[in-house]
Amino acid sequence: MRETVPPTHERHKRRTPISAHGEPAVWVTAGALVLCLALILGLLVVIVWRGGSTFVVRPIQEVTLDDGTVFLGLPLESEDARDDADGGERRRYRVGNRDLGQNSFRWVNDADVASVEAPEDAAMVERREWGVFLGRIERVLIVRNMRYGPDDRRVADGERVTTDFGPATVVEVEAEGLEDGGARVREQLVLGAGQPDAREVFERVHPIVLERRAAIERLNSHRVPMLQERLARLEWKRRGIERRVTTEDDGPALPAWAWTVTLLATAVTGVGALRIWRMVPRGGAARGLRALGAAAGVAFAVGLLGVVTEHPWSGDSISPDRAAALIADIDERSAELSSELGRVLDEINTRRDRLERVRVEIVEPTGGRFSPLSVSEPDAPMAVAGVVRVVHANELGVLGKLRVYLARWWEFLSERPRANGAEGGVLPVIMGTVTLTLLLTIAVVPLGVVSALYLREYARQGLVTSLIRIAINNLAGVPSIVYGMFGLGFFCYGLGGWVDAGPVDASPRGFWWGMIGLTAVIVLGGVVSVMFAARRPGRRATVVNRVAGAAAWVFWLSAAGLAVFLIANTPYFDGWFTEKLPERPTFGGRGILWASLTLALLTLPVVIVATEEAISAVPNSIREGSIASGASRWQTIRRVVLPGALPGIMTGAILAMARGAGEVAPLMLVGAVNFTQASPVSLDAPFLHGDRTFMHLGFHIYNLGFQSPDSQATEPLVWTTTLLLVAIVVSLNLAAVSIRAKLRGKHGAAI
Amino acid sequence: MAGAFGQAMGETVVESKAGLGSERRASKVAEAIRAGEAFRAQVHPELADEPEILRADTFSLWYGEARALYDVTMKLPRGKVTALIGPSGCGKSTLLRAVNRMNDLVDGVRVEGEIRLEGESIYDPHVDVIELRKRLGMVFQKPNPFPMSIFENVVYPLRIDGERRKGVLAQACERALRQAALWDEVKDRLRESALGLSGGQQQRLCIARAIVADPEVLLLDEPCSALDPVATMRIEELISEIAERYTVLIVTHNMQQAARVSHFTAFMYLGRLVEYGPSEAVFSRPVLPETEQYVTGRFG
Repeated sequence: MRETVPPTHERHKRRTPISAHGEPAVWVTAGALVLCLALILGLLVVIVWRGGSTFVVRPIQEVTLDDGTVFLGLPLESEDARDDADGGERRRYRVGNRDLGQNSFRWVNDADVASVEAPEDAAMVERREWGVFLGRIERVLIVRNMRYGPDDRRVADGERVTTDFGPATVVEVEAEGLEDGGARVREQLVLGAGQPDAREVFERVHPIVLERRAAIERLNSHRVPMLQERLARLEWKRRGIERRVTTEDDGPALPAWAWTVTLLATAVTGVGALRIWRMVPRGGAARGLRALGAAAGVAFAVGLLGVVTEHPWSGDSISPDRAAALIADIDERSAELSSELGRVLDEINTRRDRLERVRVEIVEPTGGRFSPLSVSEPDAPMAVAGVVRVVHANELGVLGKLRVYLARWWEFLSERPRANGAEGGVLPVIMGTVTLTLLLTIAVVPLGVVSALYLREYARQGLVTSLIRIAINNLAGVPSIVYGMFGLGFFCYGLGGWVDAGPVDASPRGFWWGMIGLTAVIVLGGVVSVMFAARRPGRRATVVNRVAGAAAWVFWLSAAGLAVFLIANTPYFDGWFTEKLPERPTFGGRGILWASLTLALLTLPVVIVATEEAISAVPNSIREGSIASGASRWQTIRRVVLPGALPGIMTGAILAMARGAGEVAPLMLVGAVNFTQASPVSLDAPFLHGDRTFMHLGFHIYNLGFQSPDSQATEPLVWTTTLLLVAIVVSLNLAAVSIRAKLRGKHGAAI
Repeated sequence: MAGAFGQAMGETVVESKAGLGSERRASKVAEAIRAGEAFRAQVHPELADEPEILRADTFSLWYGEARALYDVTMKLPRGKVTALIGPSGCGKSTLLRAVNRMNDLVDGVRVEGEIRLEGESIYDPHVDVIELRKRLGMVFQKPNPFPMSIFENVVYPLRIDGERRKGVLAQACERALRQAALWDEVKDRLRESALGLSGGQQQRLCIARAIVADPEVLLLDEPCSALDPVATMRIEELISEIAERYTVLIVTHNMQQAARVSHFTAFMYLGRLVEYGPSEAVFSRPVLPETEQYVTGRFG
C-alpha cells in the first residue's frame, strides 16, 4: 500500500510541466503580435512624422562662430560631436545658397559657436532653381541697358523716375561713350526708397511679377507644344503620302468579276446560314442540320473577309500629281504654322526678357554676396520671377507658420516638379499614378472576374482546374521585374511594333488565304465535335462523346493558335503609325498603355483568387433556387452569383489597384520616366495618350532618393512623396473596406 | 460540368443504410429486395381513376455506380397533393429532383426508364431543360431567398423570362404573395432585403417565387423541416389552399403532415416505390405490413 500511494508531499512534487501551462504560450503569441503591430505602427509613424515635417517652417538663426564667420541657417538635428574632445554636441544647419558654391548643409560644433540670434528680417527664399537662399532682402530694382543718341536726354544718376512698379531712383552702373556722341549706359532703377522699404516693395512687386510669369508659362506650355504637335502631324502626313506614292502597287488580287462572284456567293451563304439556323429545333437533336448551318456560317465569314480585303478598289497608292498637290498644301500649312510658332516664341522671349529685368538683391551675411541671376553671372542679382516664396520665419506667429505650411503642401500637390523633382510639386506624378492605376483596373478586373467565373462555375472540378489554380497562385509569386521584362518584350516591342508597323514579315497572300481555309475547316470541326461531345441527358458519356470532347479541345486550341498566327502575319495591315518610323515609334516603345497592361498581368492572380473566393462564398442553395426557377447557368451567375459575390470582387479589384499603384520595378522597364513634359492625360485630343511615358510616385521616390544631384536636400521630399504614396494606397484599401461594408448592408448579412 | 453545384448536392444523395438494422422484425419487402426477388409496388385501385399529369415508367437512377432508384413506376394525379414518404436515403428527394432534372447538375448521374410530363418524356434530347424547369416550381428544404429585395425575389422567374413591364410584375408579385399568404406581412416593405424575413416568411417567399410563373406541378422538398411548429402549420395551410390550383408533389418526413395535407401518399423504401394509394388508406389500413410499421413509427 505504501508503495502504491506516494505520500502527500511527494505527490505535490509532480508539478504540471511548464509546457502544459497556457500562460507562456499566451505571452509568446501576444508578444509576437505586439512586435508586428509595433513594426507596422513604427513604419507609419516614421513616414507620417518625417513626411509631414518637410514643410514645417523652421526658425532662421544667424550664427556667429568664434572665428568671426557669420551665417544664416535653419537648425536641424544635433548629435555628439566626433571631433570635440569635451564631448560637446554638434548641430546640422540647412544653409542653402548652393549657387554661391557651398553645400546645402553644414555641421557646426556647439563649442565653436559664439552667438546665435534670430533676426526678424532674415528671410528664407524659395527659388525656382538652386533650392533655398537664406539672406536679407536689400533692394528691388529694375536693370536696363540704355543706348542714348547724342541728342537724347540722359537720365541722371540719382534722379527719380516712375516705373510700372512705382517710383524709383536711377543708379548708373556703367557708362560708355559712343563715337557719335551718344552713350551706352547700364542703369539700375531702385524701387522705393531702397533698403529701408525693400521688403514692402518686394511684397508689392512679387505677385505682379508672378502673375505675368504665369501668363508667359501658359503660353509656353500650352500654345507652343500644340503648335509643335500640329507641325509634327503635318510632317508625318507628308511622309505617309510620299510612302504611298513610292509603294509599288500590287493591286487587288481578285479581278472585278471574281470579286463580284465572291460577293454574291457570300450573300447567298449568309442568307442560307440564317435559314438553316431557323429550321433547327430547340433541344439537342438535328446535328446534321446544325453542322450544315455552322458550315454555312463559317463560309459566310470567310467570304465576308475576302470581300472586305480584296475589293477591286483596294491598294492605297495615289497618283504623283495628286500627291504633289497634297504635299504642296501641307507645305503651305506647315509654313503658316512655323511662322506662327516663331511669332509665339518671339513673344515669349520678349516678355521673358522684360520680366527678367525686375531683380531683387538678397544678401547673405557671410560674404555680403547676393543671390545671383545664375551661376555664370554672379554679379547680377536674381530675377524676382525666380522667387517662389519668401518666408520671414522669425517674425511669423503660429497661424502664419501654419499658412506657409499649408501653402507649401498645396504647392507640392498642385504643381509640376522643377529642378529634377527637387523643387515644386508632384501633380503630374500623381496624375500618372492614378491614370496607370485606372487603366490597369479597367484591364484586369473584367479579365480576372470572367476567368474566375469559368474556373469556379463552369469548369468541371478536377485535376486540370487544380493545376490551373496552382499555376495562378505561382504567378502571384513571380518577381515583378520578370513581368517588366515580359511587358517590354511582348507588349512594347512585339504588340507595339505590330501596331506601329504591321507584321514584320507578312505571309504571301496565297499562303495566308490557304491558312484561312484551314482555320475555317478547323473551326467547323470544333463546332461539330462540340455537338457530338454533348451526352444524352441522364446517360453516360459514350465513346463517341469522349472522342468528340477531346477532339473539340484540339480543334479549338489549334483554331486559337491559327487565329493568332493569321492576325500576326496578315498581309493586309502595315501599321497605323508607319510614317513616324523609325525615329519616333508610337506604340512600339515604352508607354502608359503597355505599363498598365503589364501591371494588369501582374495583378491578375490577385483578382482571380479574390473573385473565386467570393464566388465560392455564395451558398449553393441560392444557385439551386435560381436554376429551379428556370434560369440558365448564365442568368444564375449574372443575377444571383455575381451580386452576391460583388463585395468580394470589389475587394479583390481594389487590392489589385493598391498593388499596382505601389509597384515600381516593372514600370522602370515599360514606361515610367523621371520627367516628362507631355503628360499621358492632357487637354488635347485624344485626351488619353496611351503611347506616352509617364511619371509615377514610386519611381519618383527612387529618383529623388538616388538620382538627384543634391540628395541630402531632397531627402525630406522623399519622405513626403512616400507619405503621399502610402496615403493613396491606404485610402484605396479603406475604400475597399467601406464598399464591402456598404454592399453587405445592402444584401443583408448572409454573404 | 457540375462545378460548384455538384459539390453540395452530392451530400444529399448518399444512400443511407441506417434504416436497415432497426427493422429486426423482418419485413418481407426488405427480405425480398435483399434476395433480389422481383417485387411489385402495391398501388391502390383508387389511383386508376385519377387523370395523370406526370408519370414515371420503370425509372432508375444511378449516382456514379451507386443506384438510388429502382424501376420506379408511378403516376401523379392532376390537381392533387401527393406525398412521398419513407426513411432517409430511400430516394424520395432523388425522385423529386429527377422530375425537374436538377440531378443534371450532379456529375455522373445516369438514368434509365422515362418520366413523362403531360405525355412528353423529359429526358428526351429534344427537351429544353430550361423550358422544362419553368413548367415546374420547386421549393427546397432550407429557405433560399436570393440576396435581393422581396419584390425582386418573387418576380425572379418572370425577370429571367425578360418581363420588364412594371405593372405586370407588380400584379404578379401581389398575386403570388397573396397566394403564399405573405402579402399582408410584407406589402409595406417589398423593397427591403428578403434576407431580413424570418425563416417561415422566407419559406413562404420561396413558395411565392415557385408559383409566380404558374407552374404545372409544384415540387416541395421537405419544405417545413427547417421551420418551427407555428411556421410549419402556416405552410401546411398554405399547401392545402394552393392545392386547389396546382398539382403538388411533396417530400416529407413528417407522417402527420403527409396525412394532413396530401390526397395520395407514396411510401418509398430502399429506392423502390413500395405502396401508393389515397393517404387515408395508406395511413389507416395499409396493404403491406412494412408500410404500417413505418407510418406508425415502428421503424424508419
